[in-house]
Amino acid sequence: MYSSVKDSASCHDRSDSVVVPNDLPVITLVGQPNSGKTTLFNLLTGSNFKTANYAGSTVEFSVGKFDAKFDFNALIIDSPGVTSIHPQSPDEETTIDALFHHPVYKLPDLIIVTADSSQLSRQLYLVHQLIESGFNVIIALTMNDLLEKKGFEISAAKAEELLKCPVVKINGRKGAGLSDLIARCRQQYEMVMFENAKGKIKRPSPPTEESVITLYAFTESIEKQVLLPKEKPIDIKTVNKKIFNVRSHDADEYSVKLDKLFLHPFWGLVFFIVSMSAIFTSIFWLAQPIMDGISEGFGLLSSWTSALLPPSWLSDLVAQGIIAGIGMVATFLPQIVILFLFLGILEDTGYLARGAMLIDKPLSKIGLNGRSFVPMLSGFACAIPAIMAARTISNRRERLLTIFIIPLMSCSARLPVYALLLALVVPPDKPWIAGLSLGAIYLTSLTIGAIAAGIISKLAGKKGNSAFMLELPAYRKPVVRYILKGTYYKSILYIQKAGGTIVFCSLFIWALTYFPNTEPAISTEITNNLTREEVFKLIEFERTNTSYAASIGHMTEPFLEPLGWDWRVGVSLISAFVAREVFVSAMALSLRISENGDDLQASMLESMRVATIANSDKPLFTTASTIGLIIFFMIAMQCISTLAISRKETGSWKIPIIQQSVYSIAAYIAALAAVNGLRALGIQ
Amino acid sequence: MAIENKDLEPNPKPRTVAEMGCGECATICKLSGEHLGQNSPCIKLLELGFTPGQLVTIIAKSPFQDPVAVCVRGTVIALRKQEAECIQV
Ligand SMILES: Nc1nc2c(ncn2[C@@H]2O[C@H](COP(=O)(O)OP(=O)(O)O)[C@@H](O)[C@H]2O)c(=O)[nH]1
Ligand SMILES: [Mg+2]
Repeated sequence: MYSSVKDSASCHDRSDSVVVPNDLPVITLVGQPNSGKTTLFNLLTGSNFKTANYAGSTVEFSVGKFDAKFDFNALIIDSPGVTSIHPQSPDEETTIDALFHHPVYKLPDLIIVTADSSQLSRQLYLVHQLIESGFNVIIALTMNDLLEKKGFEISAAKAEELLKCPVVKINGRKGAGLSDLIARCRQQYEMVMFENAKGKIKRPSPPTEESVITLYAFTESIEKQVLLPKEKPIDIKTVNKKIFNVRSHDADEYSVKLDKLFLHPFWGLVFFIVSMSAIFTSIFWLAQPIMDGISEGFGLLSSWTSALLPPSWLSDLVAQGIIAGIGMVATFLPQIVILFLFLGILEDTGYLARGAMLIDKPLSKIGLNGRSFVPMLSGFACAIPAIMAARTISNRRERLLTIFIIPLMSCSARLPVYALLLALVVPPDKPWIAGLSLGAIYLTSLTIGAIAAGIISKLAGKKGNSAFMLELPAYRKPVVRYILKGTYYKSILYIQKAGGTIVFCSLFIWALTYFPNTEPAISTEITNNLTREEVFKLIEFERTNTSYAASIGHMTEPFLEPLGWDWRVGVSLISAFVAREVFVSAMALSLRISENGDDLQASMLESMRVATIANSDKPLFTTASTIGLIIFFMIAMQCISTLAISRKETGSWKIPIIQQSVYSIAAYIAALAAVNGLRALGIQ
Repeated sequence: MAIENKDLEPNPKPRTVAEMGCGECATICKLSGEHLGQNSPCIKLLELGFTPGQLVTIIAKSPFQDPVAVCVRGTVIALRKQEAECIQV
């Protein structure tokens, strides 16, 4: 059992002590995983909701109002799936705690429990626990179409009589039964208000073996009474009892057939590896042209702005600070959208759980869990949603370990950095080498992650049980509309969370490189025989060299020198701490690249090729020093948001501080070793 | 902590779910997690629906024979070998 489960004695009536944000009735959707909660939530709210979901799990709550067409003014809250009212994972704990004391909303006036009617005895287990706890429960029976395929039908009237609460059959796919559900909600709510039936809600005591078995005996008896064979309306007693029980407890026939392939010891694994690699590479191939277009567009916009506005610090701020910063957020959005889209499809078809099962054994060898797979895969988009997705791992040690290694997964913010640096070391006529190297970078980062996990779990020793009990939902055709909608909300959330920070940092760095010497004096002797263009370049160069950024950069120089880097790399690394992709714009700013209509990368490459170490004519970006930088980026945890989320999710500063120091030191040592190793081999 | 179904005949040669072959079907007679001590997953398994007397079917085994996909009460659940060993049939 989870250690911090609230003691049931501490739970008491809170209906009068909660500040209610408004007087609307509050209806919470509760149900087992994959029972159709989110589908129902989408149907009930239309598009009228706020969501705070992250990829791979419904960790945060989505709150919405009923669609106007239902003419029922109430709040509706979606929640993550739970199998029992007794939580077994942090994810379930959040849900159950929120049910009894919601951090924002009052105690729910009504609870709609979604129950998959094709596995009724299991689903009624939770339903009964909720009724016993004193909630006002309405049961929404979903997946009736699947049950019919098995040859059965449920008598809602009979179920209502036996369970003494309203039971409504709905079809989440077609949206049938909703008006009936709303009517029952309204009726029940009025009754609750009239009777003032709240205040008797109590958290049940932990389960014992006997209580679970007794409860299941009860749900089975209900199941037997409400399930009717479809088409032949004959008395239930005439059906052979044994066959009846067996058939209603069969798995979905179609899924069993598909699992013969997808979970096949050989072909299942082949399919898994091929499909994951295909998805993974297509994230990059599909996104690349869009990203190039966006980056070019913003490059153009930036140079137009500088041309239009009179030259002053303000025009520089707009062109180099604001537009470049927004451009950066936009540039790596395509990848994130595509990743969320693929994760959505995998989850909705039911394949994601199979993938987790297939990969569980190898992951358990390095102290992880099959469920670590989704957070790790998400980590290739962004560590922030990935760390949050780790909440679905019920074992604390495995969860912390997953969180620990997520920053090593090559998040998409590192991609622009790799792209730029690889373009520097790879001969321009052989672009495929860059592609291969990028593949190698990703594989290496995965390997480093695996090794790190292996080492840490060895060091930490095997403590606690590691359970893996995952429901494999029936395979379903994904509903395109819902997947698109989910992707849309996750992407918006991503922009909100990361976008502001990135733009803000880009402005901050712009200021560091622009001030204090905004109008550097250059003697007319030098400028006399120079073109206007060259004078501008000279002024910019002078300004940067005397900026705040330069002074900070100079302080880091002693550490960077052995790696062949200079203060400008130092400044960019410091600014990259706020968000890795900022490295590119910081590098551009510290090299003071003026964009003349070309896209950012082309003009940057040019300036980086000719850049020399200050006060010398040694080139700054040699093959060795650039590879060193790539290796540094692979390991270092340079992201303040990751640090913050790691603190939040692990509950203390211990793990984020260890992560930060271990990864920084390891990155520095690895880069140092690589640079000197390459030099020893004669590669400068 | 053994949970037995007293109505069932004692199984002549008790096996666990982990030893069942793919596609095989059997009735749960007992849950026992004594060998795992404190970390016995029995309550969780029971809550998931693996109660004595229920029929279980092996749907698939992953390439490494661990975890196994077990069907109980119309649901397919993937269990690690360690948990599957707690379910005796
Ligand atoms: N066949 C069928 N599928 C449904 C029904 N309701 C929902 N689904 C599908 O069941 C899957 C899981 O639903 P979801 O709402 O995500 O479940 P949640 O985990 O409880 O939020 C989705 O693929 C839905 O499209 C239904 O009534 N019939
Ligand atoms: Mg959901």
